[in-house]
Amino acid sequence: MNEQLIQTITKLVVEKLKSNEVSQPSAGTADVQIKLHSKQATGALTELPPPENPNGKVTFHQTTSAKPEKKSAVHPQPAEKTISKQEEFIEELKKKTPSRIGVGRAGSRPKTNTWLQFRLDHAAAVDAVYGEVPDKILHQLDLFQVQTRVKDKEEYIRRPDLGRKLSDEAKELIKKRCAFSPSVQIVTSNGLSAKAIEENLEDVYLSLVQSLGNLGIETGTPFYVDKGRVALMDEIGDVLQPDVVVMLIGERPGLVSAESLSAYLCYQPRIGTIEADRMVVSNIHKGGIPPVEAGAYLGTLIQKILKYEASGVSLVKKEG
Amino acid sequence: MAGFQPKKEAIISAGIDIGTSTTKIIISRFSLMNVAGSTHVPRIEIVDKEILYKSPIFRTPLQDATTIDIKGVELIIRSQYEDAGIQSSDIETGAVIITGETATKQNAREIVHYLSREVGDFLVAAAGPDLEGIIAAKGSGTYDYALKTGRVTANIDIGGGTANIAVYKRDKLLGTCTMHVGGRLIEFKDSTVMSISPPIEQLLKQENKSLRLGDTNRHPDIKFIADFMADSITRVLAKEVKAEDEVLLLGHKPNWNEPVEAIMFSGGISECMYEQEITRPSDISYNDIGKQLAASLQSNRRLTEWDWIEPEETVRATVLGAGTQTTEISGATIQVAPDELPVKNVPVYKYSFHGHLEKGLAALGQSIKEAINIYDSFQEGQNFVLYLADLPYVGFKDIQKLARAILQVMELRHDPEQPILLVMQMDYAKVLGQTLLAMNARQSVICIDQINVDHGDYMDIGRALQSEVVPVIVKTLTFHSS
Ligand code: B12
Repeated sequence: MNEQLIQTITKLVVEKLKSNEVSQPSAGTADVQIKLHSKQATGALTELPPPENPNGKVTFHQTTSAKPEKKSAVHPQPAEKTISKQEEFIEELKKKTPSRIGVGRAGSRPKTNTWLQFRLDHAAAVDAVYGEVPDKILHQLDLFQVQTRVKDKEEYIRRPDLGRKLSDEAKELIKKRCAFSPSVQIVTSNGLSAKAIEENLEDVYLSLVQSLGNLGIETGTPFYVDKGRVALMDEIGDVLQPDVVVMLIGERPGLVSAESLSAYLCYQPRIGTIEADRMVVSNIHKGGIPPVEAGAYLGTLIQKILKYEASGVSLVKKEG
Repeated sequence: MAGFQPKKEAIISAGIDIGTSTTKIIISRFSLMNVAGSTHVPRIEIVDKEILYKSPIFRTPLQDATTIDIKGVELIIRSQYEDAGIQSSDIETGAVIITGETATKQNAREIVHYLSREVGDFLVAAAGPDLEGIIAAKGSGTYDYALKTGRVTANIDIGGGTANIAVYKRDKLLGTCTMHVGGRLIEFKDSTVMSISPPIEQLLKQENKSLRLGDTNRHPDIKFIADFMADSITRVLAKEVKAEDEVLLLGHKPNWNEPVEAIMFSGGISECMYEQEITRPSDISYNDIGKQLAASLQSNRRLTEWDWIEPEETVRATVLGAGTQTTEISGATIQVAPDELPVKNVPVYKYSFHGHLEKGLAALGQSIKEAINIYDSFQEGQNFVLYLADLPYVGFKDIQKLARAILQVMELRHDPEQPILLVMQMDYAKVLGQTLLAMNARQSVICIDQINVDHGDYMDIGRALQSEVVPVIVKTLTFHSS
């Protein structure tokens, strides 16, 4: 089967459904089937508007006798207005989270467009894991490439331990090509999302290098590791003896974003380093921390790690 | 990880409200904390505000009918610092608000500058009527109420000289309006009319009323005026301003676009209604139209159409707002040149990219020339904050283009050596600041984000705190023209 075709069609359907929604004058009439359902008992329950301002009466007591009498205690509101207030409220909530809230339902199941969107995002997540980083990017940033002990993607997923070790050739190559014992060693890897590297690496990397340059912090020779894991930095630390390793690596894709990058940092990682001494700045992508800003922040964070000669929990302790 | 308490930092804030009739001071302590957790990108917020000291309510010292006695104000402030056990050097943020008619007086600017020099190097805001209304709405509880309930709520702060109305829906300011409505617009002495302010003189003439100085304070025209003021407020709230109301309008007409649902009164007149103060302000005589005005408002039939919400503060709404609600905290990823701070009272020029980097860059120079013409028309080197809004999502090379363009246009200023002051709407402040430094900008750079500003606002930026953020006060309007 042609996956590309399936994806294209799914996209088309989702877009079509979305555009229908927009052109409908009111949300209530968007789906004829729902109207049918809403005649049943369960449907009617969901239609009840929430009580207006449940807290208002409690917090704001009206005590003075001088206050004028209200004409009527209850202000009857036209039904239409209640709905729009409620919709407005849901819109407010939606702005606060990327989660799929307030999407409605058809009977006990999600609506078709919600479901298709979900499938599409899930497919994108899978693609991100199995995709490859275009050579062009590594070229532009002048990053040479090495391998871990992992043979292929399947093995990468099944055997995280192999992603934490350099191949013999890789060890030789970095020994030969990289500056020894720099202040900061930058390592990049596709990890669990090639897409994350493709979308964000250039911006984070250039911004980070500039930031370190401004601060007068010396960096070693950066490189790219195919199919690496975070703890690979321990072996790299052993070979190159840097003070700090910063590893820019693709995060396990989620349904919010399949192209999110993380920067894992550690002061003097060596074989045997404990996890508590690592730290991470995660969620670097268009919809999270803007990659250019993340790079600028990482520079000052590395400055702090160097100053306290500690990272992770030890850094928090030392900072006091 | 129970052992790790996030670090807290505290700053002291002073609020000083110098009104037409009364002056009051409030000292509070803000606790700042990184709310993002120790390994995340920090996000510093004010997590707690504690009021350390509330002064008594003083009568505003006047030199003559139109001039505030600066030395007298200073004396009050110093005595209150002493009572509060505070040194002026302890104060890191805060605001002086000169409210009501006093703000139009010639010496308002002088006072503000004098006070910031003499009684604390804190950030200082001089109010125009719009800002005053906004600050009162935050101090009275209107803002919180609107935020919590989503109802369109108007705060009507009535003091000695003006009524300042601010309308909120959730955290959104829908509009403001200021009126010549206040207690001291007609004053009495020994049961006779001692003074009538000019707008009221005009109103009397317009309505063919005969009230004159020396008339008894039971003259029927007095009730007529108070009732008229109440009716006029009603029409402003309903946005049905008539020709006869215009004598009472100070500045623009009501400009909110949604019907008001609930109202809250604050200010001295509100104190006459609610009597919240435990000790009756001893220094205050109600020898003016204030009580009558409160009564007229309370018996106004049409005002009952709105829900009345009791304020959390009456006379102290503005000082509370000034002391606790004017300071914002910048984002934590920023770039500032510590030696240049604080900067005070710089106007904000908003430049929108409308989502297009290239088009925006192409037109930037022209707009900056315009900004310089507006803000530095006398070519004295008045600096301004450039607020960059509606940028598209940008990459590193875009930031470099932007930085290059900024360096260029900043040379157009009459005094190009001045620091480059930037506020970013989006979270790009640190990278833009660092890029400017990397390009060897010859000026100092102050580049911050996560601050709500707009075109025409004025800004004070305070010293960088330990948490690497800066306190900021945004003033919607400093001095209104007159
Ligand atoms: C998978 C995952 C885990 C898995 C890792 C399983 C494994 N062995 O592979 C488990 C469930 C064990 C885990 C645990 C924790 N996690 Co976690 N985790 C993630 C997740 C979803 C994806 C990470 C990823 O893709 N890494 C890339 C791949 C290639 O790395 P890897 O080599 O395969 O796996 C390593 C990393 O995942 C790393 N790791 C995972 N989580 C964390 C957290 C920290 C602070 C550090 C230093 C490292 C780390 O440990 C793995 C083994 O070396 C992220 C979400 C995100 N947006 O990134 C959260 C996330 C990274 N985790 C987080 C947290 C807080 C934790 C815990 C501290 C939770 C706890 N209170 O115990 C622990 C710490 C684990 C540690 N190594 O120190 C936070 C970090 C927030 C921050 N900036 O500090 C994140 C961002 C989730 C979030 N949004 O809150 N995590």
